Amino acid sequence: MSQDKLESNENIKQPDSNYWRSFNELYNDPVFIENSKHEFYNGVTDGFSPNELSGLSRRKFLALLGASAALAGAGCADYRDKGEIIPYNQKPEEVTLGKPTYYASTCTGCSLSCGILIKTREGRPIKIDGNPDHPVNQGKICAKGQANILNLYDPERLSTPLRRNNLGYFDNISWEIADKEILNKLNQAGDKEIAIITNQITSPSGLKIIEEFKSKFSKVNVYTYDLFNNSIKDSAWAKSYGSGKFPLIQWDAAKVVLSLEGDFLGVDGNKIENARLFSQGRDIDAIEKFNRLYVVEGNMSLTGMNADYRMRLRPDAQYEFVMCLINELSKRGISSSIITSQYSLQDFAKRFSLPGKFLNHLVNDLIANRGKAIVYSGSTLPENVHIAVNYLNEILGNTSLYRKDSTIQQAMDLSLTDYLKNLISSLDDGKVAAVIHYDSNPAYHLPSDLNYRKALSKAGVVITLTVSENESSAISDYVLPIHHNFESWGDAKTRSGFYSLLQPVISPITDTRQKEGILLSWTGIAGSYDETLYHKYLLNNWEKNIYPGLNSKMSFQQFWNSALHDGIVLVDEKVNISTEFISSSLNELKPVNKYSDYVLVLKESFALGDGRFANNGFMQELPHPVSKVTWDNYAAISEQTSKELNVKNNDLIEVKSGNNKLNIPVFIQPGCADRMIEIELGYGREKAGVVGSSVGFNANSFIKSQFSVSPWIIEGVSVTKAGGTYNLVSTQEHHAFDIERVQDLHKKRHIIQEGTLETYKKNPKFIQDNRKHELESVYKPFPYDGVKWGMAIDMNKCIGCGECIVACNVENNVPIVGKDQVEKGREMHWLRVDRYYSGTINEPSVSTQIMLCQQCDQAPCENVCPVVATNHSPDGLNQMVYNRCVGTRYCSNNCPYKVRRFNYFNFRDHFRDGYQEQPLLALLNNPEVTVRSRGVMEKCTFCLQRISDARSDAIRENRPLKGSDVTTACQDSCSTNAIKFGDINDLESDFSKFRNHELGYYVLEELNVKPNVTYLARLRNTHSEEA
Amino acid sequence: MTIDYSKELPTVEGRLSISQIEELVAKPLDSKPDKKFFMALSISGGFLMIGAICLLLSFYYGIGLWGNNQPVGWGFDIVNFVFWVGIGHAGTLISAILFLLRQKWRTGIARFAEAMTIFAVMCAGLFPAIHTGRPWLDGYLLPYPNQHSLWVNFTSPLIWDVFAVSTYFTVSLVFWYVGLIPDFASLRDRTVSKIRKTVYSILSLGWRHSNRHWLHYEKAYLLLAGFATPLVLSVHTIVSFDFAVSILPGWHTTIFPPYFVAGAIFSGFAMVVTVLIFVRKIFDLQNIITMDHLEKMNKVILATGLMVGYAYGMEFFIAWYSGVQAEQFVFINRAFGPYAWAYWIMVSCNVIFPQLFWFRKIRRSIPLMLIIVILVNVGMWFERFVITVTSLHRDFLPSSWGYYIPTLYDVGILMGSFGLFFTLVILFTKTIPVVSISEVKAVTDGAQPSHHGGSHA
Repeated sequence: MSQDKLESNENIKQPDSNYWRSFNELYNDPVFIENSKHEFYNGVTDGFSPNELSGLSRRKFLALLGASAALAGAGCADYRDKGEIIPYNQKPEEVTLGKPTYYASTCTGCSLSCGILIKTREGRPIKIDGNPDHPVNQGKICAKGQANILNLYDPERLSTPLRRNNLGYFDNISWEIADKEILNKLNQAGDKEIAIITNQITSPSGLKIIEEFKSKFSKVNVYTYDLFNNSIKDSAWAKSYGSGKFPLIQWDAAKVVLSLEGDFLGVDGNKIENARLFSQGRDIDAIEKFNRLYVVEGNMSLTGMNADYRMRLRPDAQYEFVMCLINELSKRGISSSIITSQYSLQDFAKRFSLPGKFLNHLVNDLIANRGKAIVYSGSTLPENVHIAVNYLNEILGNTSLYRKDSTIQQAMDLSLTDYLKNLISSLDDGKVAAVIHYDSNPAYHLPSDLNYRKALSKAGVVITLTVSENESSAISDYVLPIHHNFESWGDAKTRSGFYSLLQPVISPITDTRQKEGILLSWTGIAGSYDETLYHKYLLNNWEKNIYPGLNSKMSFQQFWNSALHDGIVLVDEKVNISTEFISSSLNELKPVNKYSDYVLVLKESFALGDGRFANNGFMQELPHPVSKVTWDNYAAISEQTSKELNVKNNDLIEVKSGNNKLNIPVFIQPGCADRMIEIELGYGREKAGVVGSSVGFNANSFIKSQFSVSPWIIEGVSVTKAGGTYNLVSTQEHHAFDIERVQDLHKKRHIIQEGTLETYKKNPKFIQDNRKHELESVYKPFPYDGVKWGMAIDMNKCIGCGECIVACNVENNVPIVGKDQVEKGREMHWLRVDRYYSGTINEPSVSTQIMLCQQCDQAPCENVCPVVATNHSPDGLNQMVYNRCVGTRYCSNNCPYKVRRFNYFNFRDHFRDGYQEQPLLALLNNPEVTVRSRGVMEKCTFCLQRISDARSDAIRENRPLKGSDVTTACQDSCSTNAIKFGDINDLESDFSKFRNHELGYYVLEELNVKPNVTYLARLRNTHSEEA
Repeated sequence: MTIDYSKELPTVEGRLSISQIEELVAKPLDSKPDKKFFMALSISGGFLMIGAICLLLSFYYGIGLWGNNQPVGWGFDIVNFVFWVGIGHAGTLISAILFLLRQKWRTGIARFAEAMTIFAVMCAGLFPAIHTGRPWLDGYLLPYPNQHSLWVNFTSPLIWDVFAVSTYFTVSLVFWYVGLIPDFASLRDRTVSKIRKTVYSILSLGWRHSNRHWLHYEKAYLLLAGFATPLVLSVHTIVSFDFAVSILPGWHTTIFPPYFVAGAIFSGFAMVVTVLIFVRKIFDLQNIITMDHLEKMNKVILATGLMVGYAYGMEFFIAWYSGVQAEQFVFINRAFGPYAWAYWIMVSCNVIFPQLFWFRKIRRSIPLMLIIVILVNVGMWFERFVITVTSLHRDFLPSSWGYYIPTLYDVGILMGSFGLFFTLVILFTKTIPVVSISEVKAVTDGAQPSHHGGSHA
């Protein structure tokens, strides 16, 4: 305090002494009076200048503070976490809380475009079933289609457009910027090419949009490809019959089927339809119509597992085999116009050590069943085999089994290889302004010798439209996220006779756009993008171009609404199948009998398709139908080959073809032909997401645009032991064939009971005769008065595909556990398909068996649970009370069927660092089924939630509950209807026929646990003398 | 060596006077713990910590950290449980059954064996509690009245286990404590430290060595011995029911109760011998825990080992005789399947090596004895492993066969249980007389009136 300052102050007011705060104030101490005029003590504010502060005003500061608090509150809070559940106060029209709504749509998981029925609960899709009205898949859908729902909720789906920056990373941009920049580039294309690369186009309206796009921009080329396709088979057909595509086959009418390398129950054609039709010839109530399946194939396939007679033959020898067959048939009096005398079946059999008995039966059956048999060649085989097979069917009169009611139609044919080569050369010459990956992944799929990735770097701009990141998006300039199947509008045409429709069942989850809409908005003919853009276009297209041709009596709006309701539109179309065999095509049949040392066979993955489902944990964890290996592909070889190469299971081998090399683990597959290697494609994705990246091995590089046999059959590969091992994991332990004590245990223990058709004809009670008589119980049996649930599994129909497993996973919120946990033996599948080999390792006979909780009346699990967490319901179900379960695992130990599954971890958290705990994936869960916590035992409950639902319906409608009111998820998914479910006590029911069938038996009957799942013994349709 | 069979061998050697016995036994309690004590304690404590860490991680992440899987739902968790319950069998057998049989030689080893029983049962009790998937809900295993009206399942052997083990633990503890009362009184009388005096005074419950006290004490001890005796047999019988009640081949066996009891005594004695060999040396108790005592225990080991061997053979015979394919397979698979190594470790340790105890020299040789009893301990652990794991890993349906590989967490928790056991044993040696002073005094030469006039011949 300075004295001078004080003195300089002259006008000191006298304070009001009535209010004083201190003595200084009271006595008007001048120092105090001076101080009271300054806010800060003298010196404190030295060096403080408001101008040096940031320009932030107090007002602005408070505004920012408020705004950031609000932002933090809004941004960090989980927007789905509403804190409490508030019911609708105005109920939406279609939604009844707790009741599912179903919408018909079309699956876009592959180009087959099956009809689906999407079950939604409170606006979110939770389950996919087949559309029962769809003429092809008729209410069934494959495992991929079931699992497609996981792709919808995949947290790794792209949510905004991305643009690559100078550093090579992707920045999020808005749609407006993306549109503007891309349109600029497209408009500047000039006379340079714009290339659209897509998979098979099935949508007529989608194709029309591409046409619009073509007319808007000067030079647009469309390239379509599919990794696996029927092009060779179709071109062979065109050569044999002049035009058209290979026809569909009346599998149901065939008495004898000879499948050559054709996995028609697995990956060849529409397996849902094939399996349904084929299994109609396996009806135990019409045994006179039983068909006989011969399979000649390289590696054991799903179809091979179901064969009555199976023979292993490397696929490059198939041609000679067919020619030998033609020769043998012509020797036996079937007239043939080609000279085949140089092909001797006997010699051939000797060279490939084929069983003579097999060939004898085959030739006799083909002759005896002329016109009622079909020879089917797999689509991976070379053209000459298909022509020879077409001819074989022709001379045997089997062409009558080609379907006349429907044929395959494609909106657009696949591009030929030369056309793709043109693209590459234009790219190399810098003549391509833009490449648009139209929901396709050519960087992963296209033949390696095209060097697509390298050529792509010379394109002006690369735009990828995709649902989630992939190899092609990673090397693009713009990545545009598109709607998932279930968010999209659309139509599809794959067969004559009908159209399928797609409709969205959920509004776009993230900021994605419909792919057709994006193209349409770029053409500018319908204005800029909004959600209704493509919908309007679709409606317009239908109203203008398709509806008039249908001669419908309804107004268009009525027609459209009912079409959407049904998911399909039936149309009257003439099917033209040429029947004149062009004999000049036989000139193509030139002798080939040089075989390379090793042949490599590439096959479509049953689970992942062409790799599109790689980031789908349900599919990755679905055991391979034959080998039961999960989470990997492998090189399947025969035992003999493994000895030659000196390798065991899991040893790495190096497969080399030209410049392409691959180190891949070996799996010794019983029934595999010698000196061949089969690898499934679809694995080894580099950019698939956390689930699918780097799972398995990428063998796509072996596919070449130039090939000698077929793109998928590669001769002249060299195979050597690479050293080192890689762990393949499977859900079933592979036990040695050669140790006597574990051989054929499934037969010794009567787990698998089988017979031949002849035995059954002679003695229909042959199964019952061998059954153990029921043992007396010391307890009084519980009287099941009302409905008592039971299941019957017809092993004649079951083909062991495992589609029911995925259906069960989706229905019952079964977690994905990952490879490390499958390796430990902790997979959580409530339902599994057991596969047993018998016979020799080279000619094994395979039996499959669906195994799920048998809901035993005297369940061994129940009496050992210390806390009564598992107990029996009055309708015969073995129940699990998750809340009560402490997790002693005694129940599982005491379960003779080992169908109980224990949550050793919170698998949702454990798998890929909580991948399944992400909020988006929670929408996938079926709200009717508890999500189980860590440390809890779980198992199949016969879809208890569906039973409860049916029961409450019955109560509300005041009628008794009937067995047929309920179907289980596995039953719904079974394409062959092998699973029957119903009320055991209702002896009048359809189910009762199966439950009490004379072929019925229980597994492990001697334990007297009284299971409620009946297995109907499989009948093999072998020749009578072998009965 | 010539033996004079005309009179009993002295139970206590070295002509110790009564006060010498008291001095000898109480010495470790009076002296400060030395360096070696702390070293031993830190080793066992280290093991305990390893177990505790593994256990905490298992609680946090779930028991998926262990090797258990489908089909092998029980692995090290239950193996360890049965192993430790078995170890806990020797103590009560020695103190109760041998007491009733008037075996004077038991006095030197009874206290220690009983303490080991209690510690072993504590280790054992840990495993059923932690093996569950949701250990925080273990309370559900107790039948307590609750608002849900939920009750336990009395048909489940796991519930019987809860009762059997907890009863056994309680009775063993009471029995042990009753035996300790006169010794606590002696210690109270000896000590000059105030704190100890207070503690011992409380623990000795006002014992004044009066005749009336002794009279009541002897009666109570006898009654408790009578009460504990059936428990010795029942506990492991019921533990064996955990397996025998199931329908699993290899578990579902009527021979299990006697086989398990014999095995438990076998392993319990082996463990007592293992520990006593060190204790008598470290605490200079060779005169009280004599070579004769060790030899007698080795004889028991030989006898029970033979019983166990008989059971192994009989299991095979019955499997063959039953004609049940699955049953036959399980036993052949044990001996020749993927776990054959475990089976042959078990057979050689439990049946073959103990045969060396037929030789008196080996029975009385400390190093050889130590090797054999440790092998027996290993063998008996493997017996439980063989029963639990090999039966589960290949059961009815070949499709669900698997293989069990323990993880480091399994091994860590097993180490932790040994750590717990030895930590308790080590603390015990410094806090409580390891030999029953009063009982040894009563059997030393000259303590009993005799017509020889009490001379030491």
